Amino acid sequence: MTHTRARVSSLISIASVFLVLCVGTVSGQSASSKPYKAPPGKMVIWAFGQPQFLQMQLDDYFARNPAEVEGVTAEVVATSGEEEVRQKTMLAVASGTLNDLADVISTFPVSMQAMSEAGVLLDVTAYLQPFKDKFVPGAYDQAYYKGRLWALPRSLRPQLLFYNKEIFDRYGIDPKEMATFEGYLSVGRKLKSASNGQVFLSYEDPASRTWRYWGRRGLLPQAGANIWGDDGSVVIDKDPGALKALHFFESLHKEGLLLNSGILQPPLYEATRQGKVATFYIGAFYDEFLKANDKDMEGKWRVMSAPVFKGLNLGGAPVVDIVAITNKPNAPYAELYKRIWYDYNFNSPARQAYTLAVLAKNGPVQNPLSRAMLDEPFWKQPDPYYGGQSFKQMEGLGLRNVSLNMRVTTADAETDTLISAELEKFVANAQTMDQAIANMGQVLRDKIGTAPANPDKK
Amino acid sequence: MNARGGASRAVTHVVLIAWCVLSVFPLLWMIGTSIKPVTEAIGGLGSMIPRSPSAANYARVAGLLPLARNTLNSFIVAVSGTIITVFLCSLAGFAFAKYSFPGRDALFLFLLATMLIPPEAGIVPTFLIMKRLGWINTYWALIVPRAATAIGIFYMRQYIASFPTEIMEQARIDGCSELRIYGRLVLPVVLPALAAWATIAFIARWNDFMWPLLLMRSKDMYTLMVSISILPVSEGLSTPWPVIMAGTTIAVAPLICVYVIMQRYQVSGLTLGAVKG
Amino acid sequence: MTPHQTMRRIWKMRHAYAFIAPFYLLFLVFGAFPLVWSFILTFNEWDGLRPMKAVGLRNYALLLRDQRFLDAIGNTAVYWAANVVFILALSLLMASLLNDRRLGGRHAYRLVLFLPNVTATVAVGLVFRMVFDYNSGLINGILEALRLPVLPWLNSTGLSKVPVMVLSIWRDTPWYMLIMISGLQTISPELYQAATVDGAGRLQKLLHVTLPGLSPVLFFCFIALTIDSFRIFTEPYILTGGGPGSSSLSIVQYLYESGFTAFKLGYASSIAYVLTLILLVVSAAQVIAFRNRGSVVEEKTA
Repeated sequence: MTHTRARVSSLISIASVFLVLCVGTVSGQSASSKPYKAPPGKMVIWAFGQPQFLQMQLDDYFARNPAEVEGVTAEVVATSGEEEVRQKTMLAVASGTLNDLADVISTFPVSMQAMSEAGVLLDVTAYLQPFKDKFVPGAYDQAYYKGRLWALPRSLRPQLLFYNKEIFDRYGIDPKEMATFEGYLSVGRKLKSASNGQVFLSYEDPASRTWRYWGRRGLLPQAGANIWGDDGSVVIDKDPGALKALHFFESLHKEGLLLNSGILQPPLYEATRQGKVATFYIGAFYDEFLKANDKDMEGKWRVMSAPVFKGLNLGGAPVVDIVAITNKPNAPYAELYKRIWYDYNFNSPARQAYTLAVLAKNGPVQNPLSRAMLDEPFWKQPDPYYGGQSFKQMEGLGLRNVSLNMRVTTADAETDTLISAELEKFVANAQTMDQAIANMGQVLRDKIGTAPANPDKK
Repeated sequence: MNARGGASRAVTHVVLIAWCVLSVFPLLWMIGTSIKPVTEAIGGLGSMIPRSPSAANYARVAGLLPLARNTLNSFIVAVSGTIITVFLCSLAGFAFAKYSFPGRDALFLFLLATMLIPPEAGIVPTFLIMKRLGWINTYWALIVPRAATAIGIFYMRQYIASFPTEIMEQARIDGCSELRIYGRLVLPVVLPALAAWATIAFIARWNDFMWPLLLMRSKDMYTLMVSISILPVSEGLSTPWPVIMAGTTIAVAPLICVYVIMQRYQVSGLTLGAVKG
Repeated sequence: MTPHQTMRRIWKMRHAYAFIAPFYLLFLVFGAFPLVWSFILTFNEWDGLRPMKAVGLRNYALLLRDQRFLDAIGNTAVYWAANVVFILALSLLMASLLNDRRLGGRHAYRLVLFLPNVTATVAVGLVFRMVFDYNSGLINGILEALRLPVLPWLNSTGLSKVPVMVLSIWRDTPWYMLIMISGLQTISPELYQAATVDGAGRLQKLLHVTLPGLSPVLFFCFIALTIDSFRIFTEPYILTGGGPGSSSLSIVQYLYESGFTAFKLGYASSIAYVLTLILLVVSAAQVIAFRNRGSVVEEKTA
């Protein structure tokens, strides 16, 4: 008798273990067990920066998963920029009903931090943690705040160096010299003397974009600079990295190596077309602008990793594109959006088909975040615009050795304006760089005082 | 006398033509740029004449935006807004100009004072009010708040101030109600002012993009100017300028039509002086 | 008047109150609440998302020391002065030229001359940005052709206000021209004829017939121009973004920047109120100046 009972009980235990294992595995995957159905209604997304391609992505997902999305429509609302998304969010919150909020919003870290404190965003830490190692390093960095993750990364675009190979061939300069910033400066000098001042190494923007692209997203992170100390005090005027970066920019400007022309505007595209600008040290997103506005320069451009400061060897800081799910009552479409996001990042054939469709419409193509996908040959295909070089592959390489973005604080929207104002005066030759740096420190102390202390200090 | 008249006439024409050239030149540039293919040069002296004109940019704008719907929205808001505001402002301006009633000066100065407040400050509370009324994403939000504007009333008052009061007296003795005096006597004479203000009001509402941007939620409720202003300003957007120019040219065309129509009424057959006689 | 008489007068003139009522009702609903709300906001710090924090008069104190704000006031005053001088003179000139009924092609001229005002400022702003561009702009192209030195219109702190002024004058003159034309039409031609009979020359006609007859409309133009100029926003925003530094920044631009870029809404509100105060002072001065000409308070009433 005991023998039979023992056998039965062991059978039962084996069965239950087996059952637990089954259930456990099944619930760990996204779409394989009980079919998911999103609640009927409209999913609203507030986005900026060519949102029609986001709409394309959603439509594509919906077409492939009709059962999941029966009765659901997705509307991407185009806005003029991140500020507008924040304004809309603010108005919805101020009027007291979170129901007015979009379900999903594109945002930037500075607003994400404030919104998370206001309880507007969904905490996605638990959802995202398992995928961390599958992504390129740094994918999550800017979505962290106070130890939690508040947004899903959509793309990560590194800082790159675009150069006009035709110019380099003409003057017999080896682009590899630009592997360091010191080399970059000397290349600039060579170009200037060889062309009698006709060809500029690069551009400088008379308005706020010099700070944005040369400073915050470029030279400063690569020099390991800080604007704020961990305790929130102003350190930009004393921090060795900041000084190094800013003085380097000063030398580029003082030696007349930069063409003063606003970036992302027609006059610069024209000067580029005329061969007056040899390189662009800027984020990978510039690829789409070059192709749209200087279409006829196909074949002349190449791309390489951003230069590094000798001894520091930090690559450029990547620009992260984040999307947050709002904390609406019941968050009806949180699950749906997570699935769409998962699909975008891990469903290779679908991603490739979508990419081809976007390319056909001259849209921006984002490198996958997942390392496995990045290794696929599709993302190493040659690009005729770059004379057969694979832009995607170069971009992927650019993601390998990134530096950390400078710490973003909730005071940063105003900070950027103030710092930029001083830099603009320098570019306009109304003050020296030393004056600019001193002013930056003073203005920040006067108007902001102290930024919030670093809640995520490692 | 004739020679002097002829010379001064010629000078007048020269001045006017010179100013016309200056006025029109940027607009011609705008249109010229809009028909250029994206890769053609925009700047510099040599780019005045488009080398290979095409309508591709217009097609592209039409593809990027729900043009028809946006234009309809703009029309509805602008036309109804203009009619209402011209009517209400002229009525109020007339009252301030031609009636004496207790508190009139104080009320008028108060009205002037309200013009001084920048509307940008009131964005959040205005939104809250609209929310309370349930007018977000509806036409009401754009039409009602500016149904009677201080500046419109101010203008109408100044203009109507010159209307001869004696005639009104006469009509009153004859037994006309105030509204009829306004409608039958005053309105026809001040028609040029109404036409001028209607033009201005229409243009202002058509071109406005701050309030529609704020109070409209969905793409198909956006007015034309909002849709177009989203084109160039967005951060990652790479809409080339020729395409933006195509968009703005589209937005301008109806306004020019309205202006031409209104211009007929701005010609005053009767000056107030003639009425006097 | 005794209270009783006043009540009777009010009742007798009830139609007048009815006519002006819509504005005040609308103001009560849409104007009063924002006014009070934003005034209260000036005593707080708020980023739109997190709870408000009461700070008393700190926003105003900061404003007084804020160099960027002081620069904005200076810039805006310059814009206002340029507007008043050029726009009023030009619009009056154009209006009087066009008011001549014997002028051939009047309607065509009026159409063409009004066009600048018809297009959206954003669009022409972009065109002007091209025109004033340092490297490939038309203005510098012409200067170069004439062997004159090219100037950094948009990218120097000294000259950045010039394109803004040019754009605003170019764009607003037609609006005032339209208003002036309508004003000129109220002046009876008989007055001009009488003046000619008296032997008056053009200048005297201008001073003794035109300007007095235009007085009510001129007063309107002064006030409207002042308010418009102090509220200038789109022109500097599109042309220079307010820079380089803060050399072309306008007050409303700074308001917008504080409120919707830096999300310091309490601070932005206080900027709005200081602007209102400035406008109040300037307008009050104009009202007093014009009061003597009898165009504010009307003598002829029924």
